Amino acid sequence: MSFFNVSKKIKEIKTTLNESSDFAYRFYKKDKQIIGLVYLKSIIDQNLLSNAIYFPLQTFEEKLSIKTLKEKIIKCADLKSIKEEDIIKEILDGRVIVITNFSKELISIDLYKFPTRAPTEPPTSPVIQGPREGFVEDMQTNITLLRRRLKTENLVLTTLRVGSQTQTKVVLAYLKGIANKKIVDQVTKKIKEIKIDGIIDSYYVLSFLQNRPNSLFRQIGNTEKPDIATSKLLEGKVAIIVDNSPIVLTVPFILMEDLQNSNDYYTNHHYSSLVRVIRLFGLLIALVAPGAYLAMQIYHYNILPLNFLITIADTTQGLPFTPFLEILFIFLLFQILYEVSLRLPSYLGLATSVVGALILGDTGVKAGLISPPGVIIVALSKIALYTIPEQSSQVTVLQIIFIILGGSLGLVGMIAGFVYLLNYLNTIDSYGTPYLAPYGPRIPQDLKDGIFTKPITQMKERPKSFSPQKKEKT
Amino acid sequence: MKEQCINIRQACVLILMCIFTNKILLLPSLMFEEAKADAFFAVIVLFLLDIVVLPIFIKLKTMYPDKRLFEILSKKISPILTKFIYCVFAVYFMFKCLLVFSITYVYFKQQIYQDEIIWLILISGIPVINHAIMSGVRAFSRTIELLKWAVLIGFVSCLAFSLFTDLSMPFFFVSTSGEFFSSIFNHIFSFGDYIFLFVVIDRIEIKKGQEKQLYISSIIGMLLVGMLFFLFYAKYQVTAFMHNNALADILVFSVQFNAIGRLDIIAMLTIMFITLFQLEIYSYAFCDCVLNIFPKLNKIFSIVVFDIIFGILYYVFIGKYEILVGSSQFWSPWLGLFVNYLFPIVCLIIILLARRKKNEKTD
Repeated sequence: MSFFNVSKKIKEIKTTLNESSDFAYRFYKKDKQIIGLVYLKSIIDQNLLSNAIYFPLQTFEEKLSIKTLKEKIIKCADLKSIKEEDIIKEILDGRVIVITNFSKELISIDLYKFPTRAPTEPPTSPVIQGPREGFVEDMQTNITLLRRRLKTENLVLTTLRVGSQTQTKVVLAYLKGIANKKIVDQVTKKIKEIKIDGIIDSYYVLSFLQNRPNSLFRQIGNTEKPDIATSKLLEGKVAIIVDNSPIVLTVPFILMEDLQNSNDYYTNHHYSSLVRVIRLFGLLIALVAPGAYLAMQIYHYNILPLNFLITIADTTQGLPFTPFLEILFIFLLFQILYEVSLRLPSYLGLATSVVGALILGDTGVKAGLISPPGVIIVALSKIALYTIPEQSSQVTVLQIIFIILGGSLGLVGMIAGFVYLLNYLNTIDSYGTPYLAPYGPRIPQDLKDGIFTKPITQMKERPKSFSPQKKEKT
Repeated sequence: MKEQCINIRQACVLILMCIFTNKILLLPSLMFEEAKADAFFAVIVLFLLDIVVLPIFIKLKTMYPDKRLFEILSKKISPILTKFIYCVFAVYFMFKCLLVFSITYVYFKQQIYQDEIIWLILISGIPVINHAIMSGVRAFSRTIELLKWAVLIGFVSCLAFSLFTDLSMPFFFVSTSGEFFSSIFNHIFSFGDYIFLFVVIDRIEIKKGQEKQLYISSIIGMLLVGMLFFLFYAKYQVTAFMHNNALADILVFSVQFNAIGRLDIIAMLTIMFITLFQLEIYSYAFCDCVLNIFPKLNKIFSIVVFDIIFGILYYVFIGKYEILVGSSQFWSPWLGLFVNYLFPIVCLIIILLARRKKNEKTD
C-alpha cells in the first residue's frame, strides 16, 4: 500500500513554492520503494546532505522503513517527524523533507546553513576591558552565546513567529523563577498580536512592544553584547532575540540604563561613578548649552561675567544673523556634517571632516558669518551628546526644542521646558517600571547601580524596579 | 478612574514646596511694612498655627485611608455643603496660583526681563501646568522629588552666600501688638500649607510610622523660610520694605559677586523651579475641586476651565500688582482664615464624632 505519490507530492510542493529556482529535490529508488528529498538548495548545507543522507541511503542494503531511515541511515542529530501541512514552513526554515511511498510519516532534517559572520566586537559598544563578543544576525549563534553564559535549566527560550511573509523567528528569553511572570506574559501577548507582513530587524518588534509607540523616548532596551544581555536576564528582565538582527531587545527598560556601560562593571566602582557623573553632565550640556547660551545672550546678558560678555559683544558685532539664527545655522551645519560623515565611504569621511572643521568653521568665523563662541557652544553640545550615544537621536531633537525655547522665551522658557520634559518622562513606564527609576520615584535599594555605583560584592539584590520574582542574587 | 498614589517621600516634597509658597519673594517685605522685624516672629506664629493642622490631616487619613475628601465631607456633613466648601477651595487655589504667578512675574520683570514681552512667562508656564494636571499628581510629584535637591541646594546656597555680606542683628520688638497681630491676620492667606494634602488625601500612601517624615520635612521647610526672613531683615534692616525679592535680594552685594559673575542666577533658577512646582500643585488642586463639584466634567474640561479663568485673571491683575494686593486685602485674610483654620476645625470635629461613635459601639 503506498501512502504518498512521491513525485506528485514533490510537484505539489514545487507549485506551492512557485517553482522557485532554488527549489531542489532528489529521488532514491530501491525496488518499489521510493524516497524523495525536498529542500531549498540556497539555505541548506549540500555537502552535509550528501554525506549524511544521500550517501548512507545508497550504501544501505536492507529493506527500507521509516524506522531504519531514522535510526540507521540518516546521520543527523536534529531530525523530527512533521505533519503534511508543515512541509512548506519546514523547507523555508532550511530543512530537508523526506517523503516516502511506504509511510505516511514525513521526516524533517535540520541542514540549514546561512552565511553568518563571527561574533566580533560590535562597533556600537566597544570595551576597554571585558568580553569582546557581539551578537550576530544568526539567531542560533546568538542563543549559543547566551547559553554559554547561562548554564542553568531556568533559562527559558520560547520561539514565536512574526510576519506573514517573513515568518521571522522571535525568541523570548528569560530566567524562570527570576523574571516577573506578568512581564513575560505581557511581552508574549504583544508579540503574538503583531500584525505585519515582515520583520526585517528587531527595531520592527521594538515598535510594537512600546507602550507609547509615538513617544520620542524608546521604552525598550537593546544591546549587541551577550554579556550585557546575560546581566539583564539575571536582573529579571526579558530578552527578545529576533532572527536576522544582531540587536537583542530587553524589557523593562529605564533611562538609567543608557547612563550605564559594560565598562563600568569591569573597572573600579569609584571610577565608574565618576564616569557616570560625567555622562550625566555631558547629557545636560548637550541638552541645554546652546539654548542657555542664546537665552543669556538675548535676555539675561547681565548674568554673564563681564569679560565674557565683552568677548561675545566683540565677536558678534557685524554678524548678518540674529543670535538665534546664528546658533540654528551652526547647529544645522554640524548636523549636515554628521549625516554626511555617516553615509560617506570612510576614505571620503576624513576629507569631509577637514572641510567641515577647518574650512566651514574657521572660514565661517573669518568671513564674519558666525561667531567663535557660537561655534564653540554648539560644538561642545554636539561632542557632549556622544557621552551617551544611545540617547543621541532623542537629545538632538530636544536640542532644537531647547534652542527655540532659549531663543524665544529665555531661561524661564528653558526651565519650563525642562520641567515639562521631566514630567513627561515621569509619566512613561516600561512594563510597570517607572522610566526614571531609581530616582523618580526614588528606590533606595536600586541606587547601588545608580549614578554612584557600589562594588558588585554589595549588590546582593536584584533591582526592585523590575519587580523580579526572586529578589536575592544568591 | 482613580489616580495612582504618591508615597510619603513625594508627599514630603509637596509639603516643602507648599511651605515656600508666596513666602520667599515678596512676603518678607510686605510683612515688614506692618510689623517691622517682628514679622519674623509673626511668621513663626503662623507656622505654629499651620503645623497644628498636620496631626488633623494624619488622623483623618488614618481613619479614612482610601476615601476621597469629597466623600468624607459629603457623608459627614452634607453633599451641598461639601460642594460649597469645594467651591471655596477652588477660589482659594486659583488665587494661590495667581498670587504665586504675579509675585514671580514682578520678580522676573524687575530682575530678568526688564521691559521684554510680559506674555513670555505665561506662554512658558501654561503648557507645563496643563501637562502636569493631565499627567496627575504622581508624575509631577516624582519630578519635584527628582529636583528636590537642586531646589534645596539652591535655596541653602542663597542663604549661605548672604552670610558673606554685612549682616547685623535686626531690631526686634519694635512693633506694637496691634501691628504684630494685623501682620499675622493680613497674611494668613499666604500660609495654610497643608490644605493641598487634604485635597489629595486619597492619593497619598502613608504606612504606619511614616508620619514623622511629614513633620521632619515641614520643620525643614519652616526653618529655611524662617532663616530667610531673619537673614533678609538682618541684611536690610529698616530698608527691608523696599526689597521685594527676598531670596534674590539677600545675595546682592555678596563679596563673591564680582569674582565669578552674578550669583543671583542661583536664586533665579531656584525661584523658577519653585514657582513652576507651586503652580503645578495649586492648579492641580483647583482642577480636582472643579472635577468634584462637576463630576460629569473630565480632566480636559477642568483644565480648560482653569486656563480660561486664569487667563482672565492674568489679564486683569498681572502687571497691576497693586490692584491685586489692594483688592485682596479685604477678602484674602477671611478666605485664608476659612480654608486654613476653619476647615481643619471641621475635620477635627468629624474625627472626634467618629471616634465617639466608635467608642459608643465598643461600649
